[in-house]
Amino acid sequence: MIELKELTKRYPGTETPAVDRLTMEIPRGEIVVFVGPSGCGKTTSLKMINRIIEPTSGQIILDGEDVTDVNPDQLRRRIGYVIQQIGLFPHVTIEDNVATVPNLLGWDRDRTKARVDELLDVVGLDPDVYRNRYPKELSGGQRQRVGVARALAADPPVLLMDEPFGAIDPITRTRLQNEFLRLQQELKKTICFVTHDIDEAIKMGDRIAILQERSIPAQFATPEEILTQPANDFVADFVGSGSTLKRLKLTRVRDVTITTDALLGRIDEDKHVLRQRLQESDWTAMLLLDDERRPARWLRAPDFLHDRPVAEMGLPARAMIEPQATLSDALEEMLLGSAGVAIVVDGRGAFQGILDVDDIITSIQTMRDANAEFYRASKLIDPATAIA
Amino acid sequence: MAVSTALPEPDQDAAALGRSEDAAATKRAKRSKLVRYVAMPGFLLLLNVATFLWLSGQDLDSIERRTLTAENLIGKAQEHVWLTLLSTTFVLLLAIPFGILATRPRYRRFAPGIIGLGNAGQAIPSFGMLALLFYLFRVTPWLPSTGTLPVVVALVGYSFLPILRNTMVGLDQVDSSVLEAGRGMGMSERRVLRRIELPLAVPVILAGIRTALVLNVGTATLAFLFGGGGLGDVVYNGLSLRRIPITIVGAVLVATLALLVDYIASLIEEKLTPKGL
Repeated sequence: MIELKELTKRYPGTETPAVDRLTMEIPRGEIVVFVGPSGCGKTTSLKMINRIIEPTSGQIILDGEDVTDVNPDQLRRRIGYVIQQIGLFPHVTIEDNVATVPNLLGWDRDRTKARVDELLDVVGLDPDVYRNRYPKELSGGQRQRVGVARALAADPPVLLMDEPFGAIDPITRTRLQNEFLRLQQELKKTICFVTHDIDEAIKMGDRIAILQERSIPAQFATPEEILTQPANDFVADFVGSGSTLKRLKLTRVRDVTITTDALLGRIDEDKHVLRQRLQESDWTAMLLLDDERRPARWLRAPDFLHDRPVAEMGLPARAMIEPQATLSDALEEMLLGSAGVAIVVDGRGAFQGILDVDDIITSIQTMRDANAEFYRASKLIDPATAIA
Repeated sequence: MAVSTALPEPDQDAAALGRSEDAAATKRAKRSKLVRYVAMPGFLLLLNVATFLWLSGQDLDSIERRTLTAENLIGKAQEHVWLTLLSTTFVLLLAIPFGILATRPRYRRFAPGIIGLGNAGQAIPSFGMLALLFYLFRVTPWLPSTGTLPVVVALVGYSFLPILRNTMVGLDQVDSSVLEAGRGMGMSERRVLRRIELPLAVPVILAGIRTALVLNVGTATLAFLFGGGGLGDVVYNGLSLRRIPITIVGAVLVATLALLVDYIASLIEEKLTPKGL
């Protein structure tokens, strides 16, 4: 889809090029992550693809077409662009920000408006609430959602993302990453993604290019390969010592044993029946399912002290994950949710089982050659604090 | 997006809370805005009425009575406004395009020098500059040494630098990531200038224009040096004929005009500043 051939950038007055004959193929529908230490030329490489930085030599081939010398403005309208600083236009509304490229392409008003609403919806912002706001009225995370919506506006087949979640607080960043990955499953864009964070690279990338100085790839491979078979010392060093924790991103929920005999109740059952069942069991909490077996509420003994309908008792059930989610996703959901466990559901949201921190620790323990890292990992996910 | 809908949206809650606080703040802002709108015109009206009343109590001699007619004063004020508007229009037409040009990548390397020159130019006293120009026009045979032209040239020369400087600073302070985003989405350089850079520079450019306008009202008082008319004539007459009432009326009128121009410019500034800033 995107082919870079011998792409080189040499700044005037410097001897060594910033990017030295980078040759790479970015397959259609995949996320390729450029990751490397600062100053390795990864951002320069990315910006040469839409020619924000003009390459000194080499070729860029987009979908079979050599775009090295086409009009850069026309080219960029076909490539979505998301940057770390977001760069929303502060003097126009969210709607006008998202409509930037449709306006450039001369779409009519109705089509543009419909597209803007659709996209705000896609990135999780209610169009009726946010359409007419200005960027300064939004939080950092919301702004980057708008930034993503703006990049997707004209439905470009290719997206360039330069540390898009870099300036966002960790919790919001995790959420945006997950949402973006889900979005990508539907959109199947060809994405080139730059980050300096190897964890983000492992999480987001279908393939990772670990770049050394002058943007020379030290290894270009899937995350699994990079973690399990680093090509050289540079890669091993860069991936770093926390690789067990990183492998949580490679193990799927379906590969570990989950608790399937959790204490369950139905949301339309009688309050007293539920209470009795909870008291008689040795569980501290009961999960209520709705009539389609979707998790609805968590109930604990003290919740019965309040006189409320069953559907409003306890806490809403959160932290739901599908079997194909990684253990790392599961752990994050667990920490974000209030119950300290993740609920495994199938594609339609029906209950399958429960995954708790112990299950993850067990699976970490079974990973071989990971003794040192294990202590670090177990410290990070101290079950007591996770459940509290 | 499944998780985002299942989780509460803390951002939204915070935003909603902010809204209700906003309402009270807007109310307060509205009241203070009203005060701001009314205060300056009210003060100017009061100043002029007081001057008029004081003048009515004075025993004026024939020279004073001949100078202080409504007809004469209005004529001089009109000349003064005309000189100010003419020179400000010219300076805008010159300084803003020049400022835009000087911030384009091609000429960027000259920018620090020009801004430095602008700052230095501000330090030259207006009277000194006018005197020099006066001399220059006198010794150049093909230039008229009196009338509107030399005055306008002098005023343009004097207010050129603040507007140029503000145009450049205004364009320079636009966040480079906003420009990169615009270019990265396929906006042409021209479009980025028109749709992003200029609107975002408007507050700073307008501040420069406001400064220049007030400067021009003040400096136009010296137009009498060239026989260019304006309220400076009234003040100068009062001084040279030792007629205190004439001097005071002239001074009050110049001050009123300057404050009024500043007030109107502040309204325009408020109106033209983009909403999201």
